[in-house]
Amino acid sequence: MKLRLAVLWIAVGIPLAWGVFKTLQNALKLFQ
Amino acid sequence: MSSAFLDRQSTAAEPGFNRFLVPPAALAVHLSIGQVYAFSTFNLPLSKLIGLTQTAPGDWNLKELGWIFSIAIVFLGSSAAVFGRWVERVGPRKSMFAAALCFGGGFLVSAVGIHLHQLWIIYLGYGVLGGCGLGIGYISPVSTLIKWFPDRPGMATGMAIMGFGGGALIAAPLSVLLMAHFKTATSNGVLETFVTMGVIYFMFMMIGVISVRVPADGWKPAGWTAPAQPKKLVTTANVAVEAAWRTRQFWLLWVVLCMNVTAGIGVLGQASPMIQEMFPGRVLPLAAASFVGLISLFNMGGRFVWATMSDYIGRRDTYMVFFVLGIVLYATVPTTGHLGSIPLFVAAFCVILSMYGGGFATIPAYLRDMFGTYQVGAIHGRLLTAWSVAGVLGPVLVNYIRQYQIDNGVPKAQAYSITMYIMCGLLLIGFLCNYAMRAVNEKYHYRVPTTAERVPS
Repeated sequence: MKLRLAVLWIAVGIPLAWGVFKTLQNALKLFQ
Repeated sequence: MSSAFLDRQSTAAEPGFNRFLVPPAALAVHLSIGQVYAFSTFNLPLSKLIGLTQTAPGDWNLKELGWIFSIAIVFLGSSAAVFGRWVERVGPRKSMFAAALCFGGGFLVSAVGIHLHQLWIIYLGYGVLGGCGLGIGYISPVSTLIKWFPDRPGMATGMAIMGFGGGALIAAPLSVLLMAHFKTATSNGVLETFVTMGVIYFMFMMIGVISVRVPADGWKPAGWTAPAQPKKLVTTANVAVEAAWRTRQFWLLWVVLCMNVTAGIGVLGQASPMIQEMFPGRVLPLAAASFVGLISLFNMGGRFVWATMSDYIGRRDTYMVFFVLGIVLYATVPTTGHLGSIPLFVAAFCVILSMYGGGFATIPAYLRDMFGTYQVGAIHGRLLTAWSVAGVLGPVLVNYIRQYQIDNGVPKAQAYSITMYIMCGLLLIGFLCNYAMRAVNEKYHYRVPTTAERVPS
């Protein structure tokens, strides 16, 4: 059950983290 | 896929099932359908399908293309309202599967439209079919999450609906990446991107279809008991969707959601030109795009933070904060323009957009508090028609009033002031409706028919 929990959260967490990272990367240009 | 696998009975959780497996299932659906907020990424490439580098005769214009998003949002609201009861009846797995078919299929049908260069096929594909996928997908995990998290319904639904905000953050760079990858000398890659995204989103939504579970009847989290003294605006009774539709509370909540969304959505759509026009020469298009990204992050984060907070301070008080703070911030925006303070302007809009997202994420738990868990998904579906209305009202208010001001000689930097004060007025209406909220009259409560009532003598 713990493995299933980890796999599922990673499956949704990685794309979300990537999207947040790309957005933050662009947002930083506002302060440059 | 076997029909039995999709049935509600097959979705029942096994003993010892960890309820924290359900939020990622909901997120898989919401992260996918949240792509709709990033649809504008395709508008420019779609307007150059023939000319490739620039719009050529026969290419679609941006005005025509803008309808794809609008149709999708209208069908989001209407399909959520129409299919709400069906979603409640068949359970989350079958409805998530239907949403995956519609949303993924919408991309594929649109790809045919791109190939044949027929815009109406895209309207039908992404707009109608995809829009139905959006509506069904949006409401499908809501009542399941509320049943799994009776102790923290705001946090649970906030987590899922946060995914809808986060979907755009993924889809925007993904679309750009795919179009660049598929670009050739004879194609700008948008057709191939549609096919790829249709397949990716269908598969990603299937993660939710496979992993979602419903709790057994009467299931409660270990060690948790419902409070003996329920809070003032938290019912222990249930109201069926057909009865809820007739209550004063439903329509008060409808206006509350509509006002909160109208205030936010108009700004979200105009954020880039607004910051450039309010600070002429100081904010360039690239920085404006960064501003849009930043407020999108707050839109997403606000969904989780505010909805979670609502579990502690109550749903009505959370909305009170949205409306009071919203009025103060909107009223401050023209001053930030006069002062020329970009940081204050950005900070104000970050908080405003966090409350826009928070409004969406808190509403399912508010509905559960008012109408119980019985048909909360279906009631939520009907309430989302407020979103469709706000989706038209918000941008119209911002765009038309701005244009009217400019046509009457007001400098562009000051053209948004009246709009901001109108937004304050809308939020005041929302505040009054929220203030008027009372518990639902007992005559609307759902009761299971007795044997005598079921079998007339």
